[in-house]
Amino acid sequence: MAVDPPGVPSDAAQFGMAFRHQVRFYLRTMRFLALLVIVLVATVGFVAATIYYHVGGADAGGYLGGFLGLFTIFGLIIGAFLGGDAIAMDFGSPTGYYTLVLPVRRGTLLLGRYAAAFAASFVLILVYFVVAVSGAVYFHGVLGTPWVEVGESLGLASLYALGVLSVAFLFSSFFRSPATSMISTVLVLFFGLDIATGIAAFAGVDPWFSILWAGDAISEVFPSRVRIAGTGAVPTVPEGIAIMLVYAVLFLVVSAVLYQYKESKG
Amino acid sequence: MSTIEISALTKSYGGGRPALADATFRYEGSGAIGYLGPNGAGKTTTLKLLTGLLRPTRGSARINGFDVHRERKAALADVGAIIESPEPYPSQTVAQAVEMVSDFRRGRSRSIAKEIADLHDRLELPPLDARTGRLSKGQRQRVVIAASLVRDPRIIILDEPTSGLDPKERILVRNLLNDLKKDHLILMSSHLMQEVTEICDQVIFINQGQILLRDTVGNVADRFRTRAVDVEFATPILLDRIRGIGPMVEDAAVVGERRFRISFDGSSSARSAILEALVRLGPVLTYQSASLALEDAYLALMQGDNGTDPALATPPAAR
Repeated sequence: MAVDPPGVPSDAAQFGMAFRHQVRFYLRTMRFLALLVIVLVATVGFVAATIYYHVGGADAGGYLGGFLGLFTIFGLIIGAFLGGDAIAMDFGSPTGYYTLVLPVRRGTLLLGRYAAAFAASFVLILVYFVVAVSGAVYFHGVLGTPWVEVGESLGLASLYALGVLSVAFLFSSFFRSPATSMISTVLVLFFGLDIATGIAAFAGVDPWFSILWAGDAISEVFPSRVRIAGTGAVPTVPEGIAIMLVYAVLFLVVSAVLYQYKESKG
Repeated sequence: MSTIEISALTKSYGGGRPALADATFRYEGSGAIGYLGPNGAGKTTTLKLLTGLLRPTRGSARINGFDVHRERKAALADVGAIIESPEPYPSQTVAQAVEMVSDFRRGRSRSIAKEIADLHDRLELPPLDARTGRLSKGQRQRVVIAASLVRDPRIIILDEPTSGLDPKERILVRNLLNDLKKDHLILMSSHLMQEVTEICDQVIFINQGQILLRDTVGNVADRFRTRAVDVEFATPILLDRIRGIGPMVEDAAVVGERRFRISFDGSSSARSAILEALVRLGPVLTYQSASLALEDAYLALMQGDNGTDPALATPPAAR
């Protein structure tokens, strides 16, 4: 293992710096604000609609299962837009010339940015969950809300976001343009995996390769969740965790390797 | 002691001529080295290889004894660099942009606010709470220069550092670099011969990926002596009278109102003899080289002329 040169902060300290500066960067971007507005409008709209039409479900688990089941789509957009420029920004914009000449290992920078992208995503996940739980509390009261399952679901949603972020980081290491990288992530995860899932269903195979499918575990923790007819088999919670974990680790490692060897040729 | 060393450094981007071919040099201690060559010569490629932005096809780049590509963090520990036209995160304030570099370079410091304030005064930075994304190109460049200097790295690598600066800002940076070179090792590429002449002690000429010459600025000036002077009189003088002042004048031409360009053999004796004769002709207002020595050297080298004295082809400079 390489020894840190004297005077220069340790890798751990630099991870903290990369995290702090990147979080500050994310929270000030228009896209974070735009995502926050989208999440707020969609979730508050959902709660308002359920209140207006008096469709609170038989119990809080059913209500939350249906509500949080939609998170996979939001999580995908959040991950793609917050992680899509993480590596591309160093090679498609002059910012890379500012940071890559500093005495810091690229792996440290990458992990700091990953943690920061997750932190920014987690803020949005929390907003989503807080509004969803508010709806459940409105209909079924505090005592009627399954808090343990809510916690488990929040953990799964976080793991799902990590998996999507890793995919976004991978695409970010392929492209020079942050916009191309973000759009590619959305296209591949949303349409690509959807098509592959359709083919798998046709062949009678569970789409175990799809993080979108694994994301169904987020609502699967609520035993009384309402399933939409015709959606086919859903993963068990352990299956969902395993798939999301593989996405998070595998794609992040590949991104780190590509980032390490990428050159500033522009 | 600070050292910059490249050895047989080669970079190819695929087929064709390498962007940099077997480049070798070593500098240590302090001083300023100018890196000169036309666009596409290999200057920026060299600087990118020295800062880990590119990986070498062959050879090595070492800073303070550390291989830039194998021990990147240690190699860049004491380096401030400006390559291409870097930009901080646009949402960062000036203070945050400089502080971020300071953090990565030496860790959190209680005295950082004071150091940033000093850099602010020294480089006439924009307000510290201004967002860098809203600055002009020149203002942003000064912020980048401040970031490259924060926490006092002993080696400074600059790729056309005054690009985008107005004349006043250039003077500011030139004075700063002249001050810094006393105890820092500065390697800077530039297209501006005037700038290199005024800042650098040594120069490297590169073209088509090959280092053509490296030497002290003084030796290069001697080798590629300026062979023309411009003179301006306070009163009108006939051209024929200038042509006739003596055998040391090879030719003379009118270049403006009461201004003439005189060609000679480039020697110091001829140069002073011409001045003596001109003063006898009439009141001389100005008398100066028609071009910079480095400019002459640059043009000659790019045309394939390696200078007048073959004995100087392998310079002893800065080994």
